Amino acid sequence: MIRYDTIVIGAGAAGLTTACQLAQAGQKVVVVATGIGALLLASGCIDVLGFHPADSTQPVTSPADALDKFMAARSNHPYKVIGRENIEAGLQSFLKIVNQTGCHYRGEFNRNWLLPSGAGAVHPTCLAPDALTKGELSSGKSMLIVGFQELRDFYPTLISQNLNEQDLGVKAGAVSVDVYIPASSKMNATPIELANAFEQADFRKQVVNAIKNEAKKFDRVGFPAVLGLKQHDAVVTELEKALDRPVFEISALPPSVPGRRMYEALKKALLSAGGRLIIGSKVFDGTIENGKVSQIRIETASRLRPLKAHNYVLATGGIFGGGLNANADGSVKELVFGLPVAAETNRHKWFQRQFISPEGQPVFNAGVTVNPQLQPVNGGNAPLADNLYAVGAILAGSEWTRGRTGDGIAVASAAAVASQLAR
Amino acid sequence: MSTNTVVDDITLSIWHQVQYTADLCVKCNICTSHCPVTQVTDLFPGPKFVGPQAQRFRNPKEISVDKSVDYCSGCGVCTMVCPHGVKVMEMNAKARYKLYKKQPIPLRNRILGRSEILGMLASPFAPVANAMLNLLPVRILSEKIMGIHRNAPFPPFSFETFRGWHKSVHSKSARQKVSDKRVVYFHGCSTNYYEPRVGKAAVAVLEHNGYEVIIPDQVCCGLPMLSNAEFEAACNNAERNIKSLIKYAREGVPIVGTSTSCILSLKSDYQHILDIDTEEARIVAQNSFDICEFLLDLADAGELNTDFQPVEATLPYHSPCQLRAHNIGLPAIDLMEMVPGVKVDHIQAECCGIAGTYGYKKEKYDIAQAVGKPVFDHVKASGSEVAVCDSETCRWQIGASTGAKMIHPIELLAKAYGLQEFYFKN
Repeated sequence: MIRYDTIVIGAGAAGLTTACQLAQAGQKVVVVATGIGALLLASGCIDVLGFHPADSTQPVTSPADALDKFMAARSNHPYKVIGRENIEAGLQSFLKIVNQTGCHYRGEFNRNWLLPSGAGAVHPTCLAPDALTKGELSSGKSMLIVGFQELRDFYPTLISQNLNEQDLGVKAGAVSVDVYIPASSKMNATPIELANAFEQADFRKQVVNAIKNEAKKFDRVGFPAVLGLKQHDAVVTELEKALDRPVFEISALPPSVPGRRMYEALKKALLSAGGRLIIGSKVFDGTIENGKVSQIRIETASRLRPLKAHNYVLATGGIFGGGLNANADGSVKELVFGLPVAAETNRHKWFQRQFISPEGQPVFNAGVTVNPQLQPVNGGNAPLADNLYAVGAILAGSEWTRGRTGDGIAVASAAAVASQLAR
Repeated sequence: MSTNTVVDDITLSIWHQVQYTADLCVKCNICTSHCPVTQVTDLFPGPKFVGPQAQRFRNPKEISVDKSVDYCSGCGVCTMVCPHGVKVMEMNAKARYKLYKKQPIPLRNRILGRSEILGMLASPFAPVANAMLNLLPVRILSEKIMGIHRNAPFPPFSFETFRGWHKSVHSKSARQKVSDKRVVYFHGCSTNYYEPRVGKAAVAVLEHNGYEVIIPDQVCCGLPMLSNAEFEAACNNAERNIKSLIKYAREGVPIVGTSTSCILSLKSDYQHILDIDTEEARIVAQNSFDICEFLLDLADAGELNTDFQPVEATLPYHSPCQLRAHNIGLPAIDLMEMVPGVKVDHIQAECCGIAGTYGYKKEKYDIAQAVGKPVFDHVKASGSEVAVCDSETCRWQIGASTGAKMIHPIELLAKAYGLQEFYFKN
């Protein structure tokens, strides 16, 4: 018996949103992943197109408007094969999935939010959690940035000074709070520990008391994104009441609390639609025979276990995500099916001389080439396997740091594949 | 069962050796953000810190561990969520062993590590032993003298052991099946001394599916000793079990168990934590199955008897950490939902807190209760009188904290097959 309609390999934004859409369409779906995907390492926002050209200092204000120019300049980018309609559909289905779970996102394709980043730069992003959108910089409202002594890597003064120096029309101030964070080790609190602490009224009260006088001088108050995990909405409401002004969050370094909220929301959506999630099992290999994937095998505690489905979706990520392995001999390998990879094979050309180069780093364009159905091909349009699809950062040409298109690729390719398979 | 034939040996890769996986860590802290212990106490800084990060400062020949590693409960959520394949929990278990090379293992830990001996001694006097265990003065005394928390969720001893029932009742009854389809049942200590009903249900279900059930010689799997840093004693038990099971494993007779932690020991801990690197250990590991995994494989092969009677129930289900560490998904959910009328209400929580013997200890009881609170709250809010969990200590923990009647998934199947009289009457 074939237990599943679709097996999705990978639990990042691309894999989970694909699986949610299929499960909600009534399919039997299982997601298998080595561990928890990259969501906890990301901002929790959906970036579709942030900068074009990549070295522009002016952020893109409307991804929808800038898309054609971007695609003309980046002819190998996955957006080309995914198409504008699927980007739009992907954003819509992402909003629908997460908002149904009570994790509220806002945004639209023809407008970027301009949010303060954890370094005080401008982060253009298309969809963002409610609490982050209130940090919108174009509103001109002044902001107090709050940091915590025990939270490493979030420096309120760095953020406020950087914001002030960019002449954004937003006056920013900073305050650092030194309060005991329950359950944290001395001198070092993780964002998750802070998020748990914020769900306790006593802790909130201490924080409010420490900043309320300073807060009066500003229109709104920005915190690192640690304002609760399970009771996030209530925490924000309580703080706004106590401080008598809007409160917003700023994405900080990993582990990302908004990323965790997004992960929990997608997981909830998947499981409540009857989907299955196997975290902790690396996919060892997959077999393609007679033009079809016949099975994959996952690593269990003591042996390889075959799993079978009618269709398979590869969402294992690129070199960062672990879907591809770049080797010392210049080869780049796809690790589940051994699919052909489009990659620069001369290792000397993998990287530019500049670390942060406007041209990006060529090696990160490595990936799987697909046909318009997003099925992996080896040149031409004939699929290598009729029932295999690829989504997310494993698609060739993805170099997502350049232009900030990673989340857009994920949700758009997910929608493109889900709409075909759910039929 | 051909789908589980072993053709590749994943355990041979160097990256599967616990200590080397520290080099795979990129310090992303996904493990820390999911660790149920670090979120409720400042005594445990988190799996990344005491695991892969500290590992870089550990000389294999020297004892240099931070005491906080003793506060790792061993639940293994860290290893499960790690996207890079770092064996964090296994690293911590080894570090704890080294910690107790430097300091004496408390008598309390030695006792908690030997539930089998406790069972052997107490079971013949079960009514007396149970009455004693329920006396508050006895509880207070054992807390003061030994450091076992007075509210620790001890289950009652069973007067009749599982092996006793099997030998003197079942094997003499006409029910016992003889078949060329054979399966070995590893019952473990909890089934033998505390919950023989789980073992009876397992035998009933397996026989109902046409299997002859072999109950081989066996001793405690050793996990309670392993998690209390008594590696030598645990190894001794492991060797004895491997010796008893290897002949069946070599013949390809599947070894199934209802205790998720016993089977995990056979599958993985013997090799990866106790470093028993023998062919016999590997063959036993590759032939061991969680009972729901085994039955779901039968279902997939079209060989599971599906003459279930409807059971109208929505059942809260906690997937124990020790089952998730099998990395097989959650077969119990699919299996239980094959019974008409059953709806599984899967509790989305990392851990119930007990983590084997962790939550019995005086200094860790409060941590274990705090960790398990989301599970308890869910069970209480569900309003269900019955809740399901594959692991025995988790059942005792959740049962003690919620008042719910806790069952193993196999008990639900036995009921759906109409076999419950089989173990209630005998």
